[in-house]
Amino acid sequence: MSKEELLKSMEKAIVEGNKEEAAALAEEAIKENIDLNEVIEKGYIPGIQKVGDLWESGEYFLPELITGAECMEAAMAILQPELEKNQITRKSSGKVVIGTVEGDIHDIGKSLVASMLTANGFEVIDLGADVKLEQFIEKATSENADFICLSALLTTTMVGQKRIIEILKEKNLSDRFIVLVGGAPVNQKWADDIGANGYAENAMTAVKTAKKLIEA
Amino acid sequence: MSSLVEKIENFKINIDESKILRLIGYKKKSNSIHEPLRNLIADEKNKCDTLLQPASIYTVIDYGQTNKHLIFKNAEKAAFCICTIGPKLEKEVKNLTNNNDILRAMVLDSIGSEAVEEVAIQSDQILAKKARDMNLWASKRYSPGYGRWDIREQRYVFHILPGQDIAVSLNNSYMMIPQKSISFRINFYKEKDLSTRK
Repeated sequence: MSKEELLKSMEKAIVEGNKEEAAALAEEAIKENIDLNEVIEKGYIPGIQKVGDLWESGEYFLPELITGAECMEAAMAILQPELEKNQITRKSSGKVVIGTVEGDIHDIGKSLVASMLTANGFEVIDLGADVKLEQFIEKATSENADFICLSALLTTTMVGQKRIIEILKEKNLSDRFIVLVGGAPVNQKWADDIGANGYAENAMTAVKTAKKLIEA
Repeated sequence: MSSLVEKIENFKINIDESKILRLIGYKKKSNSIHEPLRNLIADEKNKCDTLLQPASIYTVIDYGQTNKHLIFKNAEKAAFCICTIGPKLEKEVKNLTNNNDILRAMVLDSIGSEAVEEVAIQSDQILAKKARDMNLWASKRYSPGYGRWDIREQRYVFHILPGQDIAVSLNNSYMMIPQKSISFRINFYKEKDLSTRK
């Protein structure tokens, strides 16, 4: 298979949700000594972008979106050790610290966002659920993150999102991080009212918003 | 609380695939679902024999014995109920999420949501029948945090009912643990016109 054919097959494997194929093609790329950054940027990333487009056009649904992200993960599990072994730095879309705020143990929606961000080239540090507010800031600072992504699924816990933004202001850190908020009771108005940089209604919007904000 | 608290555990839970598909955001007609997804849903449904521990507790008291919330002021009686499917399913969801098996986790989580809703529906039907036995008419279900019934009333429901009898507790954010739990009240009225039940 030529390099071009291989890259096209990688894109196809992601679009069709074929995990085994995505991983096998990654193995083949390593064997053929193909530039791994090119493999990711021109093979797998166009695939996950196409999955996002198909989801946006209504042709794909959440299961296909998740499967696409899982295929990316399967391929990256093969490629990542090779990247590290050869000290190849992968171009990152941005570094994200994500979690569900204190008092809220909802996990799965946030994990889906983390998964989609990872699949789209972001470096994601997932702090889990019921995360102390200070912990977001400490981790984002120590990791030199670009984003703090805050999930809240309850009207009683969404105030934690507001409080983090207040703490960032108190510590003069407002300009250092891009704060994205999301969760069932959250909307754009809430994000504007509390001074968040962005609001994401779902996992794909989170990816798009994050890309737009980091490029701004 | 001295009122009689009853416990129900013999629920028969049937999970409808089309509802699961809707909950995971699938809008296609179910006959066009790809086989792998259909198999995945079937796998997770099969796990439920061991993961679901459906139970509910309820009590029926005179309106005068309640905290007399004004929005329910015309009621003769109020029935309070807490339903759950237990902690096992969400522990498995957590395991799957931690292993980054997000789609499977979402499917199982949706099954859990559907299952606890089924427990609530069946408990509600039992309570509506009790209302008729008392020659009263039952309202629809009201849960704390919905409509004008404030989320903080969750604390009151747990004051009326011993959640610990079915291993359900409340955290400081008024969130029930296990998450797959539902609390509600229905009001019993003398006049059918006052009932909001369709």
